[in-house]
Amino acid sequence: MAQMMMREAILETIRAEMRRDPKVMMLGEDLVGGMGTAGGPEAIGGIWSTSTGLWEEFGSNRVVDTPISESAIIGSAAGAALAGKRPIAELMFADFVGVCMDQIWNQIAKFRYMFGGKSKCPVTIRLVYGAGFNAAPQHSQAVYSMLTSMPGLKVVLPSTPADAKGLLTQAIRDDDPVLFFEHKALYGVKGEVPDGDYAIPFGHARQVRSGEHVTIVTCGMMVSVCERAADSLAQEGISCDVLDMRTTSPLDEEAILDSVEMTGRVVLVDESPPRCSVASDVAAMIANKAFAALKAPPQLVTAPHSPVPFARELESAYLPSPPKVIDAVRAALAYR
Amino acid sequence: MQLSRDQLLQAYRRMATIRAFEERLHDEIAKGEIAGFTHLYAGQEAAAVGICEHLADDDFIVSTHRGHGHCLAKGVDVKGMMQEIYGRATGTCKGKGGSMHIADVDKGMLGANGIVGAGAPQAVGAALSCKMDGQGKVAIAFSGDGACNQGTTFEAMNMAVVTKAPCIFVFENNHYSEHTGPAYATATSTDIAGRAEAFGMKAWRANGCDFFDTYDTMRELLDYVRAGNGPAAIELDTERFYGHFEGDPQRYRGEGELDRIRAERDCLLAFRKKVTEAKLLEDGDLDAVDAETSALIDAAVDEARTAPPPTPDMVLQDVYISY
Amino acid sequence: MAALKPFAMPKWGIEMTEGTVAEWMVQEGAAYEKGALLTLIETDKITNEVEAESPGILVRIVAGAGETLPVGALLAVMADGPADATEIEAFLATFKPADALGSAGRDAPKPAAPEAKPVAAAPAASSIPADANISPAARKLAEERGVDVAGLAGSGKSGRISLQDVDQASRPAAAAAAIGGTPVSVAVDFAVLDGFYASPLAKRIAHQNGIDLAGVTGTGPRGRISKADVLAKVQPAANSNAPAGAAPRVVPMDKVRKVIARRLTEAKQSIPHFYLRAEAKVDALIEMRRQANLFLGGKASINDFLVRAVALALIEVPDCNVQVHGDAIHYFSTADVSVAMATDRGLVTPVVRGAERLAPHDIARASKALLAKAQAGRLSYEDMDGGSFTVSNLGMFGIDEFDAIINPPQGAILAVGTTRRVWGEQADGSGAFESRIAFTLSCDHRAIDGAVGARFLAALKALIEAPERLFPQG
Repeated sequence: MAQMMMREAILETIRAEMRRDPKVMMLGEDLVGGMGTAGGPEAIGGIWSTSTGLWEEFGSNRVVDTPISESAIIGSAAGAALAGKRPIAELMFADFVGVCMDQIWNQIAKFRYMFGGKSKCPVTIRLVYGAGFNAAPQHSQAVYSMLTSMPGLKVVLPSTPADAKGLLTQAIRDDDPVLFFEHKALYGVKGEVPDGDYAIPFGHARQVRSGEHVTIVTCGMMVSVCERAADSLAQEGISCDVLDMRTTSPLDEEAILDSVEMTGRVVLVDESPPRCSVASDVAAMIANKAFAALKAPPQLVTAPHSPVPFARELESAYLPSPPKVIDAVRAALAYR
Repeated sequence: MQLSRDQLLQAYRRMATIRAFEERLHDEIAKGEIAGFTHLYAGQEAAAVGICEHLADDDFIVSTHRGHGHCLAKGVDVKGMMQEIYGRATGTCKGKGGSMHIADVDKGMLGANGIVGAGAPQAVGAALSCKMDGQGKVAIAFSGDGACNQGTTFEAMNMAVVTKAPCIFVFENNHYSEHTGPAYATATSTDIAGRAEAFGMKAWRANGCDFFDTYDTMRELLDYVRAGNGPAAIELDTERFYGHFEGDPQRYRGEGELDRIRAERDCLLAFRKKVTEAKLLEDGDLDAVDAETSALIDAAVDEARTAPPPTPDMVLQDVYISY
Repeated sequence: MAALKPFAMPKWGIEMTEGTVAEWMVQEGAAYEKGALLTLIETDKITNEVEAESPGILVRIVAGAGETLPVGALLAVMADGPADATEIEAFLATFKPADALGSAGRDAPKPAAPEAKPVAAAPAASSIPADANISPAARKLAEERGVDVAGLAGSGKSGRISLQDVDQASRPAAAAAAIGGTPVSVAVDFAVLDGFYASPLAKRIAHQNGIDLAGVTGTGPRGRISKADVLAKVQPAANSNAPAGAAPRVVPMDKVRKVIARRLTEAKQSIPHFYLRAEAKVDALIEMRRQANLFLGGKASINDFLVRAVALALIEVPDCNVQVHGDAIHYFSTADVSVAMATDRGLVTPVVRGAERLAPHDIARASKALLAKAQAGRLSYEDMDGGSFTVSNLGMFGIDEFDAIINPPQGAILAVGTTRRVWGEQADGSGAFESRIAFTLSCDHRAIDGAVGARFLAALKALIEAPERLFPQG
């Protein structure tokens, strides 16, 4: 066991996988940093410090620092994967998925299917997402709801360093395309990370708090928001069963429904705006499959139907927070 | 010309197969049995074959929506392709992709693509994979006078140059991007290869309706790229005999244009003229190939017609390897 | 100003239409705690205790003890603090009895046939302006339940009031106080099971039951250990019935006893009973039961077989499978047989439904389940409702024979005695001991004549004496 930040867990995982399998390669902007400049390579060590030192160890063929060309980056990852490699492509900000969406949506997601199951595209796309750093509308979005809806893709959101290591290991080894979402505000969060090699299977939610009055379903950055809300409510004798989905595609329906059948009340917490979001999707699934168990309508705590605002007060009003989650839990309990 | 008799026959056979395949499809589609969109390659055979005759199974190509020619030139099974176009469970892609998405990764054919320009970055990626392997293999992105305007093409060219990827950008200029002429839509329509040169890549030009010109130019280009000099491009001047898609009334053609290009720019006729005049092959040799090809296509269509259709349970298969 | 809320006649079970206030346990004007017994309300079947969901004051009693009122009628007014007469009068004036506060959607009363409405509708204090931002269904519900929507915050777009908003507003304050209080731990205390690929619930169950997941095979999604896999390893809970012989449990069953007394007195006085007696030889039945239990691994009792025979006989003689309602006789095509069960709380007769379709071991299972519920005092209305015939067996007490009292509205009841060894003449003229049971069939002569009853008993006897007929054919 070691205490480390999520970014360190990610870096260590990539390094370990690249050592283990010579087919693993990386592509992305400023993965190395400083290429073609007076400051020389590694002048910044990778923008999110998740690729520090990898180029020195593995060289230019396997660590490809790219121009600013999202379509080319993701498209190359796709082509390299079809040709037999296991590329890890980084999108510096998840919001840039708009620039290269065709390569993800029409290409990578569909290769295996439209080629009759005779190809595989084991690409892992790492996206840096989320609000909380006043990065403004075009650099703060959650994005994963849209990608969850696309058949052919798997969508993963680690919430702790330990989960980041296990889930990224699984992603790189998975022969299907994986979108791996790293929240920028979680990079610096420390946690215990087990030593050794382990992969966490997809579609396997993590139980974060154990309770019997209300179920809370969430993922990513919102997990810690829900933990704080649950701990505060526990002081009042209200116990919440908090589930971290970990992967929105595939979804651990069984864990969610088991919990809702026990509590009869559920709160979905999601950093995305509500329309066609993961929160709405899971709420509908619960209403469809566990209606008889529900004692109150599913409560949604989401961002509003707006872009992410810049100013501190606005962004803070935009995001779900522990008080908002607590209110939702109370609303679920108050329903009669 | 340093091609042996066998190589010449092989090249002719490939081109004749493509021509027969496409011509037959034109007739069958008109009968209404084939679903969806089909884009025929007839007329451009010399381009595909002139390039792919140099390639092995572990060289990669990425194609366009007009991909039958590239698939056949790369060695994808004729009958499997016909069955795929007919939407059969025994098709190359089990009826999941259809005409626009035929692929055979084992033969280095990384897919025809329905999105114009999408293949170029994928070819760069395949080329990066070749570079990692260090065996001198290459990846080829086929595109046209339309795709050369797509942003992805530019990104791919730039990326190929800066990463020194062994990627070859082929621009088949058949003078129509969908229903529009390059003179209107392509800012440097008289010199598409020049765009590649602007990115710092070496570019060649050749007559895409002449097998030998294409083949010889490609030999030089491939030697250059396989040697590790980075990417290259080639612009081929060629013609498509049919519309953008089957069903296209082609009102944009000039008076007598179709007749003229069939008469003057038919690569099969040009090939025949050249080899017979140079006494490398006789008409009879080529006629025999024509006859065998014709029979092969007949058999392919007959088998495709009677092959089993996919069943509803196949809808959910192969979305993932494991979910 | 105190918040007043109505205490209306509750609705228990789909068929309940009215109830009788047996007794008020709290005086008018008195305060009560959460969980306090407010009143006892009788229905046809059971006397119910109504407990307070939250603390309050019973500021006005409207329905007196002994009054019978329809479901939804106002019984009393409750408040969360002292209220003066004016407030109470105002409240009473605007109260509209509603169909019991079942879910607004699911239990909504079927729309009545449209009637001509009086031109001048009585102006209600709660009339809603025509331009209020409220959905049509919500408006209707608000009017029915007398909900004041003026101050209601609608959850819809631009504050539109929905059916759900009105439904919620019309209900007494939630028992949110029922949850909460002292701090609890929400720690995931089975983190030790993290290494196992098992669903969160599976881990929870394993932890609670001390099950080692190492040996458990997963059959859940993607091969994960799921709840079912773990439950398969859980040992059935030890019998938790309190051992007999301990200090007697004092349960205030007087009211139930009262109800039983009242009904049976009524039955004896108003139904013209007549009694038919017969004996059946049960050697074959006893042997069949022994073999069946062995073969099927079950534990069907003789009574379970008798219930089965009764059911088949009722189908054979449908004129005996009736209920009497005033001047009408109801004939049934299925045999819903009430089985008399003695419990600590008194005699109850829950129903084994469709017994003609059940094999004896299915009847055994059903009876056992009903007996368990009866002993726990948890029989529901559905369990007791209906039934056209009762089987009452005192054989286990060694009673040779007896005459049972019919349970109205049923047409008949069968009293079953104990198995006796009797010397009897055999077919060949020799003598041998036989096992016999005596039956007494009590019939309601208003609906069942002697011949009908006799045919029933004959059919029953024939079935019992050829017990292979008791198993479903084919």
